[in-house]
Amino acid sequence: MAEELAFARKASGLVRGLSMWDAFAVGFMNQGLTPSIWVVVSLGVGTFLGANLIVATIISVIFAGIGFPLVWGILGGSMPRSGGEYIYNSRILHPIVGIAQSFGDAVIWLMWIYVLAPLAVDPGLTMTFQFVGWSGAADWLINNTWAAFLVATILNIVGFMFVVFGIKIFAKVQKVIMVFGIGGCAVIGVVLTVTSRASFMAKWDVWVTANGSADLVYKNFSSVVAKAADVPFIPTTWNWADTLGVMVAMSWLFAYAYSISFIAGEVKRPDKTIIMSNLFAILVPAAFMLWMGAAMYHSIGFQFLSASGYADNNGIDAIAKLPWSTHFVGLAAVMAGGSAFGKVVSAIMGLSYVAFTLWWIALSYLAFPRILFAWGMDRMGPKWFTDINPRFASPVKNHILCFVLGEALLALYFFKLNSTMQNITVTGMQITSVFAVTALAAVLFPYMKRSKGVWDSSPYKTWKFLGLPVVVWGGAINLIYLAILLYEFIFKKAAGAFTGGSTILFVLVWVLGVIWYFFWKQRSKKVGVDVSMTYGELPPE
Amino acid sequence: MSKLFFVTDIHGSNVCYRKFLNALPIYGADNAVLLGDLTGKVLVPLVEKGNDSWECTLMGQHRDVTTKDELVDIKKIIENAGYYWVHQTREEFEDVRGDPAKIDALFKQLVFARVQEWLDLADERLEGKPFQMYMCPGNDDWFVIDDMIDNAKLVHPCDKRVVQIDNHEMVTSSASNPTPWDTPREMNEADLETHLRGLVGQIKNQETAIYNFHVPPYGYSLDLCPKLDENLTMAAEEKIHAGSIGAKKVIEEFQPLLGLFGHIHESRGAQKAGRTLLINPGSEYSEGILKGVIIILDKKKVKDYVFTSG
Repeated sequence: MAEELAFARKASGLVRGLSMWDAFAVGFMNQGLTPSIWVVVSLGVGTFLGANLIVATIISVIFAGIGFPLVWGILGGSMPRSGGEYIYNSRILHPIVGIAQSFGDAVIWLMWIYVLAPLAVDPGLTMTFQFVGWSGAADWLINNTWAAFLVATILNIVGFMFVVFGIKIFAKVQKVIMVFGIGGCAVIGVVLTVTSRASFMAKWDVWVTANGSADLVYKNFSSVVAKAADVPFIPTTWNWADTLGVMVAMSWLFAYAYSISFIAGEVKRPDKTIIMSNLFAILVPAAFMLWMGAAMYHSIGFQFLSASGYADNNGIDAIAKLPWSTHFVGLAAVMAGGSAFGKVVSAIMGLSYVAFTLWWIALSYLAFPRILFAWGMDRMGPKWFTDINPRFASPVKNHILCFVLGEALLALYFFKLNSTMQNITVTGMQITSVFAVTALAAVLFPYMKRSKGVWDSSPYKTWKFLGLPVVVWGGAINLIYLAILLYEFIFKKAAGAFTGGSTILFVLVWVLGVIWYFFWKQRSKKVGVDVSMTYGELPPE
Repeated sequence: MSKLFFVTDIHGSNVCYRKFLNALPIYGADNAVLLGDLTGKVLVPLVEKGNDSWECTLMGQHRDVTTKDELVDIKKIIENAGYYWVHQTREEFEDVRGDPAKIDALFKQLVFARVQEWLDLADERLEGKPFQMYMCPGNDDWFVIDDMIDNAKLVHPCDKRVVQIDNHEMVTSSASNPTPWDTPREMNEADLETHLRGLVGQIKNQETAIYNFHVPPYGYSLDLCPKLDENLTMAAEEKIHAGSIGAKKVIEEFQPLLGLFGHIHESRGAQKAGRTLLINPGSEYSEGILKGVIIILDKKKVKDYVFTSG
């Protein structure tokens, strides 16, 4: 340990208490291990049948692992406040851009509630019930919209309760959920690893035959799926186009540690903590994804995995008779078997999915109220946005607003939209409205007159690579990664969920954000407050 | 109508103080109040290693300084964070290190020098300007600082007295209830309540009065801070109220127009207590961020307010 060459005197007013571990937990939990791998396999591989999970993971980690920590870590460490990217974009680019994209982000966090609570119900709870043999309960949720809405509402209330009573309860529950969720995912990994291909083939054949689908035995499965998919065959090996395509789904695992920015004002040593916790929140899911990918190729096989992903994603008739769908957790449950022990193992695997999805809902309650709080502090919203409940030390009114809006959107989802592909829409909005704008802010950070004071006092000002500030490299690498994802969204197979209505919604949200900015600016001006004062940097000399 | 700019707890940060002075014309403030704590908590000896090189510990990290340019940079970082630096040989450092009285004396020498430097700078910057600046220490600040402010040319002292801010009487107290650090201006709750009652008793019109207390009232959202364990380590997951019960009683009883507070850096916010608007602008001095609040005061009401962060 280095010698301490400093003296401190007794004085009050210490600030910042969240550790690297706390920050990592918030970032990692927003990557949502088990459900994100489900998205990668079912929505990703199921769409991009020739995707190579190992190669896609490595490319994603190189881009995301460099870009996101540098962008979000350096911006967060330079402006360590808890308002999310709104702080960075309003200070570096322009307040209008900041509020418009933040408006988009607030809507996105709300939309996640209506995407994720239904996913926690189906396939989360339904698969768990199916694994333990409670098919009646699963069918009740699958076939009864009101029942699914009711359970999703309960999960929404639980997510709300985890956060509304303050950070103490949130942090405690997060630890439990994280340990259980990671443990459950590790169980899936172990099952996939210890099961040989021959063993899986045998168990699969017994399982499908016992459930009246003998035509789906391992050697026939891919051709049955190919027929349903109306393609000549399911690929037996990988190709680059599909491998790049699956990175869109893989962004669920690697792009979401930015939730750390919502606690940036509370972490110790923000200059190091934010950047490192962002990095670890990408590396840990990457390690799991590499493990899962290798294990699935080992036990399930490339072609079968692609076919099963397609079948799960598209719900083909041929698998309708099976007790559960052919997602990667379902395949692991087949390997675990139908014994009492196998059912317990399978239930743990299914509940791991539910745990992460439930926590995603809770994280919406962490982020949305804090976005509103940051707006309120900048006079970009009513004063009650900044009200902190003295008992729970949290913005309870904002939480209640989040719950009410989340419930309204849940009703919209269940009774109108009802498509899991909504998550692709939200992901697309997030890539453009949040990640791309913030990456651009990172590229411009050292050069903007508006933020010169912040840059001059930034601890990263001296970080350079090939003569350019490291934050510029981070932003550029991040933009390349996001461009690959957007290309797939706009021009490739994922485009179906990101055109038309979702584009209009996206533009509308931004326009509403701009209107919101001018409304509050005008309103404040009437009482003699110039809100631009809150965005300007003060000259120190 | 007038604009009051209120800032608190900059804890020795040079950059925050300079920003504060520059903010007055930028924000168009008529009056500005800089409440304590004014002084910093960390002293960084730059220990000479010979051949124009030095070493120090800054923010928990050992730093080697090998050029004069680096030395200039690190001094600026130290000052901006609210810390103090001193050149020492290894022998001087060892001599001071083992002697708390010498450390205390060195702290006082550097702290008082910086406060004086600030007051001189204010005199230079405020000359001929239309705004008024008030300054008051906080519980961390030694009492000598009151005398220094009293002797300033253009900075008005305001501790333990009533001053007139346009149409409003403002009463200020630098005292706090007990803290785990046993700082210079602490009082037990009973004494603090008596002290505050004595001060607010001098106000003629409570309806338009401004209470400017360093410590916020207990039990509101402005006094929430992380709970500390017996080693004074923070348990960030649990927040507790650390405000003063005496201040709470006085405010709730007399119901002034406005209450301005500091002390609890992490509880930036505003809240109503009956008819009284309570505001704590918070502090992020160690990051060089000047947190403040601009209050638009009408004759008998607070017309509006906006938090600033620059």
